[in-house]
Amino acid sequence: MVKQSISLLAIGAAALFSTANVSAETLRVGMECTYAPFNYKTADGELAGYDVDVAKGVAKIIGAEFEYVCQEWDGMIPALLANKFDLIIASMSITEKRMQKIDFSGPYRFSTGQVLGARKKPMELFDDAGNPIADNFKGLKVGLERATTYASWFEEKLPGADVVLYDNSESVYLDLQNGRVDIIMTNPMKAHLKFLSKEDGAGFEFKGPVVDEVEYFGVGVGIGLRKGQDELKEKLNGALKDLINSGDLESYAKKIFPFKLHKDEWGQ
Amino acid sequence: MSFDLNLVLESLPQMLAGFGITLKLLLVSGSLGLVLAIVLLLMRMSGKFYLDWLAQIYIYVFRGTPILVQIFIIYYGLPQFEAVRDSVFWSILREPTGCAILALTLNTGAYVSEILRGGVLGVDKGLLEAGSALGMSARHKLIYITTPLATRLALPAYSNDVISLLKSTALASTITIADMTGIARTIVADTYAPYEVFISLAIVYMIFTLAIQKLFGLFERYLSRHTRRED
Repeated sequence: MVKQSISLLAIGAAALFSTANVSAETLRVGMECTYAPFNYKTADGELAGYDVDVAKGVAKIIGAEFEYVCQEWDGMIPALLANKFDLIIASMSITEKRMQKIDFSGPYRFSTGQVLGARKKPMELFDDAGNPIADNFKGLKVGLERATTYASWFEEKLPGADVVLYDNSESVYLDLQNGRVDIIMTNPMKAHLKFLSKEDGAGFEFKGPVVDEVEYFGVGVGIGLRKGQDELKEKLNGALKDLINSGDLESYAKKIFPFKLHKDEWGQ
Repeated sequence: MSFDLNLVLESLPQMLAGFGITLKLLLVSGSLGLVLAIVLLLMRMSGKFYLDWLAQIYIYVFRGTPILVQIFIIYYGLPQFEAVRDSVFWSILREPTGCAILALTLNTGAYVSEILRGGVLGVDKGLLEAGSALGMSARHKLIYITTPLATRLALPAYSNDVISLLKSTALASTITIADMTGIARTIVADTYAPYEVFISLAIVYMIFTLAIQKLFGLFERYLSRHTRRED
C-alpha cells in the first residue's frame, strides 16, 4: 500500500515537473472533447473530429507539439486567461464580445445556428425574410448551451424567450428528446449528422432557416489565444491559410460532410 | 490580473435574484428530508428486522453515492424510460426544480436519520427507567422523554447537515436551475471574470450559513433552557 502511494506520488511529481518544463514548442490546446463531430473522443479514447484535424495540421506546419486539455464550454475563455492552456481550438466563433477578452486567428469554419423542434408540433417561428417572430416563441421553452453564440443571439433578438441554459450540448439534445424543452438552437451541421439522421432524432426537424448574422455568429470559427501574442497569431494564420490552399482543410471536412466548411477566400 | 470591484457590485444584486430559488430548495428539501428521516428512524427502531434492513439499505445507497450522481440519475436518467414520461410523476420530474428537490430530499433524509438515531441512542437509559418506574407507557416515554432529549442531542449535528444541504443546492445549477450558483455561472460566461463573481458568490453563501448557524444557536439555547445555571 505504502509502496503504491509512493510510486503514485512519484508519478504526480513527475507530471508536475514535466508541465513546469514545457519547452517553447509545446502548446496546450483547450477543447470540449464532447462536441462531435468537431472535437470528441472515439471509443478508443482518441481525440478526433474537424477541430482536432485542424489542430494537428496547424501543429505540423508551425512545428509545435500540441497537448490537448478537455474543458467544459462555459469555462473555456476563463481557463485560457488563467493559463490552463494556450490555444482554444474548439469550434469557437470569432465574436466581438469574445474579442474584448481574447484574440483570434482567422476563420477556419463557418459559424451558423438553426432552431430544432419536434415534427409533431407545427411552429412558424421565422418570417419569409428569415427574421424571428417573437410572438410565436411565446410559451416555448428554449434549450441553449450557456455562453454560446446561440445564447447571445436569443438574448438580443428574443429577450422575452423562456430560455433554459445547459452546461454542454449533449444535455440540450437530451432534454429536447425528453420533452423538457420545446426547441433548441444549435449547430446545424452537428444537428444533422449526429441527431436528425439518427433514430433518436427521427421525430425532430429544423424549424427555421440557417442563421449566421456576423454580429452574433462572427465571421466564422477561429483559434483563440491570449492577447499580446501577435507572433503566434501570425504563425497560426499562416498555417490556416496553408491548410486552405493545399486543400487539406477541405479534406478534413469531407471526412465528415459531403461539402467543405470554409470559404476559399479565407486563404488569401 | 486586476480585481474589478465594480463587477462585484454589479453581479451581487443579480445573484441575489437567485436567492429565492436557493432558499426554496433548502426549505422544501430540508423539511421533506426531515420527514423522511423520521420515517427511516422509526423503521430502524421498529424492532421489525425487515423494516430495519430496508431503512439500512436505503441509507447505505444514498450515503454511498455522490449527490451529483443522484441528481444526474434523476434528471437525465429517469426520463429515458417511456414509462416514467407517461407516469403521473412526470409533472414533477419534468421540472428541474422538482428533480433537484427530490434528489436533495432523498439524500438529506438518509444523513439526517442517522443523526437523529445518534440523538436517540444518546438518551440516558436511567431516565427511561425512571419513566417506567413512574408508570409511563412506551408511547409516553417516546413523546415526553426520548423525543425532547434526542432533539437536543442531535441538534448540533443536524445544523451541520442543514448547512451542508445549503451548499448541495448549488449542484442544482448543473441541471439548468438559475439558483445563485446558476446565475453566477451565467455571469461568468458573459464576463469571463470567474474570480470576482465566484468570490462574491462565496461571500453570499457565507452570510447565509452564518444566519443558519445563528438560528440554530438560538434554538439550541431555547431547548437547553432547563439545564442552564441561573445566576
